[in-house]
Amino acid sequence: MRPGPKRARGFAIVFTVAMAAVLLDGAVHAVLAQAGFGGPRASGADSQLGGVVGWLLTKQSEFYREISATIRAAKSDGSAVWTLLLISFAYGIFHAAGPGHGKAVISSYLVANQETARRGIVLSFASALMQSLVAVVIVGVCAWLLNATAKTMCGAEKAIEIASYALIAAFGARLVWTKGGGFMRALQARPPALAAVGPVHDHSHDHDHDHDRHHPHKHHHDGDHVHDEHCGHSHGPLPSELAGRGGWQRGFSAILAVGIRPCSGAILVLVFALAQGLFWAGIAATFVMGLGTAITVAAIAVLAVSAKGLAQRLSAGREGGGALVMRGLEFGAAGLVLLFGVGLLFGYIAAERATCL
Amino acid sequence: MAIRRLWGWLWLAFALALGTVPAQAHPHVWITASSELIYAPDGSVTAVRHAWTFDDMYSTYALQGLDSKTKGVFSREELAPLAQTNVESLKEFRFFTFAKADGKKLKFQEPVDYYLEYKDSLLTLYFTLPLQTPVQSKALAVEVFDPEFFIDFTFAEKDPVKLVGAPTGCQFKFQRPSDGSASAQKLGEQNFLDDGNSTFGAMFANKITVDCP
Repeated sequence: MRPGPKRARGFAIVFTVAMAAVLLDGAVHAVLAQAGFGGPRASGADSQLGGVVGWLLTKQSEFYREISATIRAAKSDGSAVWTLLLISFAYGIFHAAGPGHGKAVISSYLVANQETARRGIVLSFASALMQSLVAVVIVGVCAWLLNATAKTMCGAEKAIEIASYALIAAFGARLVWTKGGGFMRALQARPPALAAVGPVHDHSHDHDHDHDRHHPHKHHHDGDHVHDEHCGHSHGPLPSELAGRGGWQRGFSAILAVGIRPCSGAILVLVFALAQGLFWAGIAATFVMGLGTAITVAAIAVLAVSAKGLAQRLSAGREGGGALVMRGLEFGAAGLVLLFGVGLLFGYIAAERATCL
Repeated sequence: MAIRRLWGWLWLAFALALGTVPAQAHPHVWITASSELIYAPDGSVTAVRHAWTFDDMYSTYALQGLDSKTKGVFSREELAPLAQTNVESLKEFRFFTFAKADGKKLKFQEPVDYYLEYKDSLLTLYFTLPLQTPVQSKALAVEVFDPEFFIDFTFAEKDPVKLVGAPTGCQFKFQRPSDGSASAQKLGEQNFLDDGNSTFGAMFANKITVDCP
């Protein structure tokens, strides 16, 4: 097929949106990296963000350090537990904007599938809850029950980490597989055809092209629509279909891929609390941290879903090309999940991996 | 044409995603360090000797599951297996120590004289990194940092760096990360354009430079 100017514009839109998402992500990270940088040896030069926001961001690192001091304090003064919970919550909110909390994976997943913002919120909270649970289970079993050494525990953490990255990659591969079909069909169909539907079965490609060649301007009649009705799932499910069982199953794999990897920060806090004889306070802090994390991830997920909605509205006016843009966007998002998984797995992306000393 | 543009965009997006990622981490472990550069009588540098004190939380974490005769007190012998684990694990991270003599990278041997001390609920790891081949250098640079910034290295306020047995006339300069006038942004670009010798985390580096006549 000849790449017309329209298609080129379609690509431009798709990747502008994708780039905007990546850039936004990068900007948030750059900001937070500075927060960490400024932490214990903060100086004016490091914090280029003025005002309240800058101050709050530079606090991230300090929050984390205060957790240990607060747990110590809680040993003699029970009311310090409230301070601990407050700090943990704040830390969770800021920390989630950093790596390893599934923002990228969950957001990309939501964009790749036609997911609702509500679904995004549920996924964010569920995966954060699972992350907290895994951290508590690791420390509970390894340190509390078995009295294992840090070396053993860190080894377990590393193994889980690799499993999580592999799961993300597999999940991404599956998304690419399912979304790639829709995208290819959108590419192969000519714009007017797209406005109606893409061809549904692989074997129907040729038919479609034949039709195209023979009567370029009048085809895709009702017959195709009927066809679409029973095979709708094969090219991007409708929102209503996602409420069904399959949708939640896919959602669960997202939760598993993201949530299985515990935050190394939480593990340190838990072990420290255990050593102080305040394991329960550590557990409470971990869950509150997870709650904070969930709020940030959910906010970013909702942002991603709305950005996609915006792209949909913008491209809706375009004759036929709209479907191509949307399928391309979904395919791109699916590809991003795969890239993240592979990048994490092979160490191209440093994601706060457990550093065992 | 469109396909080429597509790949262009994809590549750019990917590069950006990767390029920005290493900066995300914030430290989970804090180390207060002090380092000594050891010189031989002939004026060549032979080793770097580190003393790294871990923060409260990490010290507790590292001691998890270790037994001691007296609760809360650990002797050097009781900590020996942990010290062994530490230096073995540090190898993977090249001991977070990166040295150059007159612009040429230096290699280290396996660490020697390593042990841990537990004092005021903080663990301190002592170890010496001998150079593969002692070197006489007019301009020596040693950087200590974690490229992934999982560990924050802050050098001690008092005597962060010492030269042991250095020839007279040798002078050292010590630069803390936040002393750098270059912004993170600039460094990021530089590193991106660099031939890969430096890492993004270099902006967190503590840099010791020694100039000898």
